[in-house]
Amino acid sequence: MSIYVCVKHVPDSAATITIRDGRQIDETITFLLNPYDENAVEAAVRQKAQETDTEVVAVTLGKAGAENTLRSALAMGADRGLHILTAERQDSMVTARALAAAIRQDGVADIIFTGKAAIDSEGWETQYRLAAVLDLPVVSNVTELSREGQALTVVWEGDAGALQTLKVPLPCVIGASKALNRPRYPTLPDIIKARKKKIRTVDLAALDLGRPAGVLELLDLQPAVENRRAKILAGSPEVAVDELVRLLREEAKVI
Amino acid sequence: MTQKIAILIETKGARVKPAMLGVITAARAQDHVLYGLVADGAGENHRDTLARFGVEKTVNLWGGGAGQKPGEVAPDALARAVVQALDHFQIDIVFGLASTKGKDLLARVAALWDAPLALDCLSVDLDNDIITKTQYSGKTIATFRLSGARRVLGLRPKVFPAAAAPTSGEVLNWRSDVPAGPLEVLSVESGDPDDVALSEADIIIAGGRAMGNGENFQVLKACARALGGVVGASRVAVDSGWVPHTMQVGQTGTTVCPKLYIACGISGAVQHFAGMKTAEVIVAINQDPDAPLMQGCDYGIVGNLFEIVPLLTKALKAPSE
Amino acid sequence: MAEKYDAIIIGAGVIGAPIAYELAKQGYKTLTVDKLSDAGLGSTAASCAIIRAHYSTEDGVAFAYEGFHYWMDWENYLGRVKDEKGLAKFMQTGSILLKSQGHDWRKVQKHYDAVGVQYEEWDLDQIKAAAPVYELDEFWPVRRPEDPSFFDDPAKKLEGALFCPEGGYMSDPALSAHNIMRAAEVHGAKFMFNAEVVDVRAADGRVAGITLKDGTQIDAPVVVNVAGPHSYKINQMAPGVWEGCNIKTKALRHEVMHCPSPEDYDYYNKGYHTSDGDIGCYYRPELGNQFLIGSEDPDCDPQEWVDPDEFYAGQGGTGRDNQLTEAQWKAQCYRLARRVPSLPIPNQPRGVVDLYDCSDDWIPIYDKSDLPGFYMAIGSSGNQYKNAPVAGAMMAQLIDACEKGLDHDAQPLQFKMKYLKRSLDMGFFSRKREINTDSSFSVNG
Repeated sequence: MSIYVCVKHVPDSAATITIRDGRQIDETITFLLNPYDENAVEAAVRQKAQETDTEVVAVTLGKAGAENTLRSALAMGADRGLHILTAERQDSMVTARALAAAIRQDGVADIIFTGKAAIDSEGWETQYRLAAVLDLPVVSNVTELSREGQALTVVWEGDAGALQTLKVPLPCVIGASKALNRPRYPTLPDIIKARKKKIRTVDLAALDLGRPAGVLELLDLQPAVENRRAKILAGSPEVAVDELVRLLREEAKVI
Repeated sequence: MTQKIAILIETKGARVKPAMLGVITAARAQDHVLYGLVADGAGENHRDTLARFGVEKTVNLWGGGAGQKPGEVAPDALARAVVQALDHFQIDIVFGLASTKGKDLLARVAALWDAPLALDCLSVDLDNDIITKTQYSGKTIATFRLSGARRVLGLRPKVFPAAAAPTSGEVLNWRSDVPAGPLEVLSVESGDPDDVALSEADIIIAGGRAMGNGENFQVLKACARALGGVVGASRVAVDSGWVPHTMQVGQTGTTVCPKLYIACGISGAVQHFAGMKTAEVIVAINQDPDAPLMQGCDYGIVGNLFEIVPLLTKALKAPSE
Repeated sequence: MAEKYDAIIIGAGVIGAPIAYELAKQGYKTLTVDKLSDAGLGSTAASCAIIRAHYSTEDGVAFAYEGFHYWMDWENYLGRVKDEKGLAKFMQTGSILLKSQGHDWRKVQKHYDAVGVQYEEWDLDQIKAAAPVYELDEFWPVRRPEDPSFFDDPAKKLEGALFCPEGGYMSDPALSAHNIMRAAEVHGAKFMFNAEVVDVRAADGRVAGITLKDGTQIDAPVVVNVAGPHSYKINQMAPGVWEGCNIKTKALRHEVMHCPSPEDYDYYNKGYHTSDGDIGCYYRPELGNQFLIGSEDPDCDPQEWVDPDEFYAGQGGTGRDNQLTEAQWKAQCYRLARRVPSLPIPNQPRGVVDLYDCSDDWIPIYDKSDLPGFYMAIGSSGNQYKNAPVAGAMMAQLIDACEKGLDHDAQPLQFKMKYLKRSLDMGFFSRKREINTDSSFSVNG
């Protein structure tokens, strides 16, 4: 089997985000493998454990530093890496086409795993576009997965608690959720082995992407301001609680 | 030619989801003709609600046939049916709710159309093709422009206020004839909403030192259920053996970024605060008015959590609207 | 209108609180001020709270071993006070000091024998039986993973270890400071929070009191600087103090990592505090069955000296503010992974970043100053948490003696240790000393 895992090199969710020039972020912070992609890599590696003669290829579209993330995927069990090199951040429409082109150029995928979203762009869409370009079925937010022959049985979660069990023929694209599995972290011996695994690099410009039918253009980036003015709610417990519920519903709009 | 917007209407049980009304209002503000696409076959039942908020055409995707259980249509077939209807009615703009289900369907439509997609918008200005949404784990607000013949937008639930704008509404029975497959539905069910990971949760209610023991966390659990959220804990509660480490929020536990974080009996030392400070809204419930979280919250109640939290649970369960 | 006390202690951390406690027990009317909102929330909260006795000087070993007796008898030390937040717990894991080229362990053993520290000598089989996940190869010298020779195969084994059954760590350092505060309050000590000191006033050739940010003036004939990483800023406020110190202090940024234990090893319940100079780390169990990994400041690791106010505000910029760095995460985890090859290493750094109040020779300054009435208990250099209760007793003795006329600079106080019945020449901690070349110049002290 030939399994591809699309991974992304993203800022650590715990890192401080500093905006430079209104559109870029300071990239000297910690970048790492997108958390949902850890679940995708784990899913791919588990498939490999069940089927001999299976190769797991980690693919990324990213700047030079993204190699770090490919190495993380390799340390977690991927066999080799494919790095589509770009000098700039790309939107999802370009990303999906680039991934599709690189994968098609590389081999024939039986399963393509992705994470359900990247925590930096928060787009939630690349896996669907990738599937559309390759004309493959796609299911995302997958919480359970098993394979029988040339098909997967997956469970995906719609709204809180609404589950659908689907049969998905191979080849297909699967977007992993956090609930799908518990990624096993590499040991130092795994990390050392990964240093010797091969990564092939291809320039984004060298891929034939065609033209997306639209663009989502970033105009501006601002910090989300954290100015809390503690409003202490007075009165009897009942009065305070009722006021709290009202405020949460009508002012803060979080429930 | 009149500009049109299609709205993917999510229903729950026999009703239009309340959060849809804000989406419809936001679409209405763009001054286009609104088409509400309904997939539960019960467009006739929803027509009045939708018309009250400005939807002129309610489209029954499956032709208004009875017995069409929405959950039993595979998501790919549903998306293709939507696109077929959009093409038929010559609609190039789609609005939807950025719920989990909505995000899936909207992304499928955008992918089939190869059109730009803006999911989880905080604001929309179609005249200038501009939206805002968060990026970088919710720490930044990004302004985007969409360009292209078609656009797909998913709006963050609860952000857009609902305002009635009554219009006459008609029901159109459109029979989609997309073939099923390749995805095949094997079964459908409502699962246990308690299975949300702390780092993913939109709503967290957490307990600290004042909880006293593990059983007392039942009080928070009941409130979490009413909120549709999960229960967390501060380091003290874990350290004392009351709850497992997986529930710990903080520098040495899990970093969370929920929409709502309710801290009960948690003083809010720097180490805890570091783990939840990007929450959109922080509520502090504590007997100590000088606790750090009391100063660092959005809303605070000085009181005994064992009195306040059950009252909160009760108030949440009371019917609203 | 200024309020008046017998002594003002600046800092309600784990060293400030016992100084207040001991002075209060001696009848002093004390006020402890802290800029944060409760006791122990500053650098104390980030302390690894390790209780061990292996220091590079005999006095250091004695001072630490004396401290053991306080931690092991915590309730009684506190005068059996009730603390509404509960009591901190001493987790007596025992301490393994691996014999390596990273520690002059023979010197330590000599000091143990002189002081009477209880210990055993372990061979490799005994270490392996205690900690089956440890691989006992020698990896010296300490390197960084960026250096390709980091990954070289080891050529020989370690020699063994010194094991102290009485070592371990405290479960909640911030809580321990809070406990001591409650004990001190029983004797009349007062504590004031959200109170930032902006000036130390002098009059008639001695200290007169402090001024807070909100303008409040508080008078006292005795002021004690226990301000942790802010200690140098306080010293610079008091006339003549900074200039009169030959040993200075400054704030050093430090990262401590939390890495999950191998799944089949219950490190939290069965593991040992371990001092592993061979890889430049010390480690102890942490909640969630994790290894807490501290660094022994090997020469190959860059040192970041920072402004504490910038640091705590997160404004120093990348690497200088309170964010873990990927490079150091990898350095400390990979080093431990050489010792524990089955250690699973997450992609996301997790741990704590905080500051040491570091002296020029990593030995603390427990002393008076050139300004009569102004004292300092500073320069803890990441290695004094364990000594806090003893430091409290010693400082109280020093302050009382000096106020009653002792010329401490000419005739240093001989501090009598209550439990070990040893005497310690306080000149060892003098602000006027020359840099002590016997020091390990690291967190080992």
